[in-house]
Amino acid sequence: MNYGFIIDNRKCIGCHACTVACKSEHDTPIGVNRTWVKYIEKGNFPNTHRSFSVMRCNHCAEAPCTTICPTTALFTRGDGIVDFDNRRCIGCKACMQACPYDAIHIDPSTGTAAKCNYCAHRVEVGLEPPCVNVCPTHAIISGDLEDSSSEIATLLALHPVQVRKPEKGTEPKLYYIEGDAASLTPGATDSAGSYMWTDAPPSGVDLEAWRIASERHSQEESAYATKTEGAKKVYAAPEPHRGSWGKTVSAYLFTKSISGGIGLVLASLLLLGAPLSFATISTALLASIAFLGLTNFLLVYKLERRERFFYVLLKPQWGSWLTRGAYIMTAYGLLATLALLLALASIRPPPLLLVLVLVGAFGTAVYSAFLFNQAKGRDLWQSPVLPLHLIAHAVVAGAAALGLLSSSEATISRLLAAGLAMSLLALGAEFFSRHATADGEAAAKMIVSGRFRVRFWLWVFLLCHLVPIFLLAAGAFTGAAILALIGIALFEDMFVEAGQSLPLA
Amino acid sequence: MKIPRLTPPGKLTSYPPSEKWDDWVEYDPKRWPERVPRHYTIVPTICFNCEAACGLLAYLDKETLEVRKFEGNPYHPGSRGKNCAKGPATINQVKDPERILYPLKRSGARGEGKWERVSWESALDDIGARIRKAIDEDRRNEVMYHVGRPGHERHMDRVLQAWGIDGHNSHTNICSSAARLGYALWLGSDRPSPDHAHARFILLLSAHLESGHYFNPHAQRILEGKLSGAKLAVMDPRLSNTASVADEWLPTWPGSEAAVLLAMARTLLVENLFDRDFVHDWVNWQDYMKACHGEDDASFDAFIEALVEHYAEFTPEFAEKESGVPAEQITRVARQIGAAGNRFASHVWRGAASGNLGGWQVARALQFLTVLTGSVGTKGGTLPHSWNKFKPEFWEDPKPHQQWNELLFPKEYPLSHFEMGFLLPHLILDGRGRLEVYFTRVYNPVWTNPDGLAWMELLKDEKKMGLHVALTPTWNESAFFADYILPMGLASERHDIQSQETHASKWVSFRQPVARVAMEGRGQKVELTHEANPGEVWEEDEFWIALSWKIDPDGALGIRKHFESPYREGEKLTVDDYYRHVFENSVPGLPEKAEEEGLTPLQYMRKYGAFEIENDVYELYQREVDSSKGDDGVKVGAKTRRGFETPSKKLELYSSTLAEWGWPEYAMPGYIHSHVHPSNIDGSKGEFVLIPTFRLPTQIHTRSANSKWLNEISHRNPIWIHTGDAKRLGVSTGDLLHVATEIGYFVNRAWVTEAIKPGILACSHHLGRWRLKPDEGSRWTSTIVRFEDYGSGTRLRHVETLSTFPSSDPDSSRIWWSDGGVHQNLAFPVQPDPISGMHCWHQKVTVQKARGEDRYGDVFVDCSKSREVYHRWLAETRPPTGKLRRPLWLGRPVKPALKMFEF
Repeated sequence: MNYGFIIDNRKCIGCHACTVACKSEHDTPIGVNRTWVKYIEKGNFPNTHRSFSVMRCNHCAEAPCTTICPTTALFTRGDGIVDFDNRRCIGCKACMQACPYDAIHIDPSTGTAAKCNYCAHRVEVGLEPPCVNVCPTHAIISGDLEDSSSEIATLLALHPVQVRKPEKGTEPKLYYIEGDAASLTPGATDSAGSYMWTDAPPSGVDLEAWRIASERHSQEESAYATKTEGAKKVYAAPEPHRGSWGKTVSAYLFTKSISGGIGLVLASLLLLGAPLSFATISTALLASIAFLGLTNFLLVYKLERRERFFYVLLKPQWGSWLTRGAYIMTAYGLLATLALLLALASIRPPPLLLVLVLVGAFGTAVYSAFLFNQAKGRDLWQSPVLPLHLIAHAVVAGAAALGLLSSSEATISRLLAAGLAMSLLALGAEFFSRHATADGEAAAKMIVSGRFRVRFWLWVFLLCHLVPIFLLAAGAFTGAAILALIGIALFEDMFVEAGQSLPLA
Repeated sequence: MKIPRLTPPGKLTSYPPSEKWDDWVEYDPKRWPERVPRHYTIVPTICFNCEAACGLLAYLDKETLEVRKFEGNPYHPGSRGKNCAKGPATINQVKDPERILYPLKRSGARGEGKWERVSWESALDDIGARIRKAIDEDRRNEVMYHVGRPGHERHMDRVLQAWGIDGHNSHTNICSSAARLGYALWLGSDRPSPDHAHARFILLLSAHLESGHYFNPHAQRILEGKLSGAKLAVMDPRLSNTASVADEWLPTWPGSEAAVLLAMARTLLVENLFDRDFVHDWVNWQDYMKACHGEDDASFDAFIEALVEHYAEFTPEFAEKESGVPAEQITRVARQIGAAGNRFASHVWRGAASGNLGGWQVARALQFLTVLTGSVGTKGGTLPHSWNKFKPEFWEDPKPHQQWNELLFPKEYPLSHFEMGFLLPHLILDGRGRLEVYFTRVYNPVWTNPDGLAWMELLKDEKKMGLHVALTPTWNESAFFADYILPMGLASERHDIQSQETHASKWVSFRQPVARVAMEGRGQKVELTHEANPGEVWEEDEFWIALSWKIDPDGALGIRKHFESPYREGEKLTVDDYYRHVFENSVPGLPEKAEEEGLTPLQYMRKYGAFEIENDVYELYQREVDSSKGDDGVKVGAKTRRGFETPSKKLELYSSTLAEWGWPEYAMPGYIHSHVHPSNIDGSKGEFVLIPTFRLPTQIHTRSANSKWLNEISHRNPIWIHTGDAKRLGVSTGDLLHVATEIGYFVNRAWVTEAIKPGILACSHHLGRWRLKPDEGSRWTSTIVRFEDYGSGTRLRHVETLSTFPSSDPDSSRIWWSDGGVHQNLAFPVQPDPISGMHCWHQKVTVQKARGEDRYGDVFVDCSKSREVYHRWLAETRPPTGKLRRPLWLGRPVKPALKMFEF
């Protein structure tokens, strides 16, 4: 059994009955929607055309939301429905980053993720979802895709269909008959910011990014979609995903780079036999543990349901890099603490422990690259360079922090310079090679030549990379270290924000 | 607990089977995936939003009897289990934290906004005594009931007849009177009932895939027709959602529609694409030949020749010149209509008909195509509505009243269809009468009607307006100026019989107070519906019965007897008596059907909420009648047949009524230059035509203000302007436009689009609601405003934008929109069509970029100018010169005794 939906655009009249019937079934709060209808217009009078697209969870066969969810709050049922259990949800919003269709929101009354769940509570007793029932023209067709006698299977056999963003590999099971590419591709339409009968969308929406994305589309070709000339989005629901990971996530990346970086640099130096004093080792480990604590505080702080933070450890979904990361950081924290205790007792940590600390610190620094990679909705974050970038940041942050804490000996100075060079390399690879998708390209453009350009060129590139390298060459470690740390913070914040700035629906 | 499945795994069904409605169990969606069963009682009722009367099922929590949600009723023949957005949104209206739950009486000056809660008893005593006094003093025409959303078929007519007053006023002339007159002249019956599902070609001068009579039932069937191969053409200057789905969009200049339709008719005639036999047998062509050509014995061929000659002017090229729609497209559509044979379905209800001077000729020209193709009453054609609409009969009917109310049917408008309701303030200012008791029923004239300031003045004037009683479940702009606000039940809190001509079927449906039905179902006794409703919300049936007893407590006026039980002599009529009698005695087939299920007819209707009396109701005009028995009919060939409801019993191409009532030049379907004809609009001076009437699929007039979900989807009404026009004016989307009408102006934002004809503006008619005080009115959608008096007029200005408010509903703190739209209607003068009496909605406006003083939402009106405009339009009428006030055959609600038709 495998449930899916067909939206038959030969019949959809854009009446929003499905939207309201859904709100009624689930008492969905104002400001969020489990399903909604997008309108676009294209063509010039009198050859103008308006088309309607019902938007909702695609019940993907390869659902990225279930992969990233750390607690199995999102899961695929045996009958193919992607359902959720808000009793397990911690409100981390990772699913909102993972969904390429902007189908998930945080329910403001529960602080947990919610979306179309195919009305599994009705399907269980044999009832159609209310959106199917209410539709005046029977434009929403539900049913078992594997049952060849079902209406949905028959329609699929008879008609060509489209899905949204097939290149994501999510294998959506929401099919459109006569789907309009300009409507199904978020970047293909301009938007005026407000709509034909609604206000400007609520805050959190980055109109500037929208505009830039539109400009970019009109300027260059893209791999899979070109902007439809004059196509305009004229009605859309509020977009919940925008900015759902805010400054806390940027800060978390920064503190984690410092924590992991210190461990990485310290363990490397010790293994290479650097003659560090117990005081230096203890201070460094203490700092690393403190930043790890801060990192975890930030992680918990940004949860909508903070009191459930421990679910990540106790109700783990092992495929999620959020879960894996939590365990990696826990392990690293324990190892670092053990090393600290030894150092405080003036015992040199044995090489095996140092290797383990090194591995833990490395994992702590780099795992976020895989987490961000699981955020399938964010094309910018899909970059293969990201692990390299995070390692470089860890080296820079570790060397800078260690140097500032203790004496800035030459090795540390050289490490900092090497980290900066590696980071420059990563920047180059990230922003001056072609991205796999148009949205990835658009987000990169936003950084290099869009609204982040000053931050990128003046701050990140010049003041926080080139200048520190020169300062190091001139022996001014402190200034270099401070600038380098600022650079990491500025970059990570920009990277988090830009990744979320494009419309997904 | 595991709930057993209704279907095999992998299969789904739409609705719980009716035998489980008493105790239906499903899982709580909020607790899911925890399996928490919830028990419901399911009771059918009827939606109270638009006029389509779609079926709803109310899911009542079995413990608390609170309604949890509304879904469609699969047993309803019109809506077939489906609804538009407004159906499920009913739950918002029922649970609106702002709804009025108790009777309110004003405690300050009218309009001051001071209210006190009173008992129903004291309100009924006060109102009853005033009406009794008016009747005693023979001031019967001072009692008036003004209805917005009608319902309860014929019930209100009966109440007013029983009171012996000519007091039925309606919203018809701001809605549909033009189309009604056009159809009535052809058919007698004043509405079309297209059989879209079986059509080969569908022509809409409407937006039935998103609005109108009857959006959801029609949309279902239009798409059914389309998927079975029918082509769809839509005539609309604005790209409606409907036009966007159409195969042919004809963006006509407003008012040119009749020219285009007549050009199509001419094409059918000259290309011989019409049904000769049908036209020969069923059109009163002999009358035309006699009256216009003086020929008593003209041949049919001579008639066709004369007809082609009559419409010679209407070439496709002429139509192109008038409408801007290419001649080829007009011809192409005409040929497709011709090819559809007698499966041509069409509809106009408001739109072009209600926008333009002479709009009634648009409906007449459209029906001309139906007649020429022989599609009148056929499968896939367009039927007269009367075949598909059920009207109940009662156990006794009061005698027709002995009044003629000049405030309803002033002598200048003998053909108006119907009451000149929107002129009421002007007619009263003319000195044609005053009102002692005025009921507004789900009607908001201050906001909805043109010239709302004239309404505010009237409602505030205690000399002219003795007592204003607003029967409404929610606040509205007119209720602010009431003496009493009496809360009446919503869709699930009242009884009504509803029947509409949604397709070629005749059905009856039943609106019910669902909690009462559920309580009675479990054996609880409920005397009056308000006992089961929230707060002290009454239903109108019981209100009118109670009020009639208050007017005539001892029966001396002869009123009370009409409100006594047909089953228990001398006792007060109950709603059970009333509906029991109707369902037992006037619904063919219902008693038998009920018996099959072991139910009484009333029990059957309470259980299923709807009953189909007949389906496939085609070609009734062909039915033979026995003239020897005195049955009315018309001789066609050798047989006497039922025919149509016109004086001649035929389809009246030639209307002797128009000829005799002062308009001989319009005796045939024709083309009247609209007040917004291109010759009256100078684009170079910034003049445009404003279409202020278009509707959204998610709002319904002013009744949906109390639905948060509908307001979330649609809450502003910017002005649609074509890209080229916007460029010329130097405005982009979001910029403010200053739109001057003849009596003032309003300021609204521009919505620049390719979806409208150049030279035309459009602004949706739902939004721009306001309130005067922070806590009075639907805060989901209304903006706080103040009225400022200037020497030259009055200005409405927004004081605060829309924002969140505290309430028992957490969603009221989540309102994310701040723009509630602009009240454009206030700046419109009355523009009554001299024949149909329709308010011609379209406005000639002058548009420029907003100026320094202008603020978003401003509306300015010069009331002295509004009087001038009224007089100018009034001067266009031709009051009758004969003995009668109105043709006897033409419809008129609450018909008086025949002699009252005489002057």
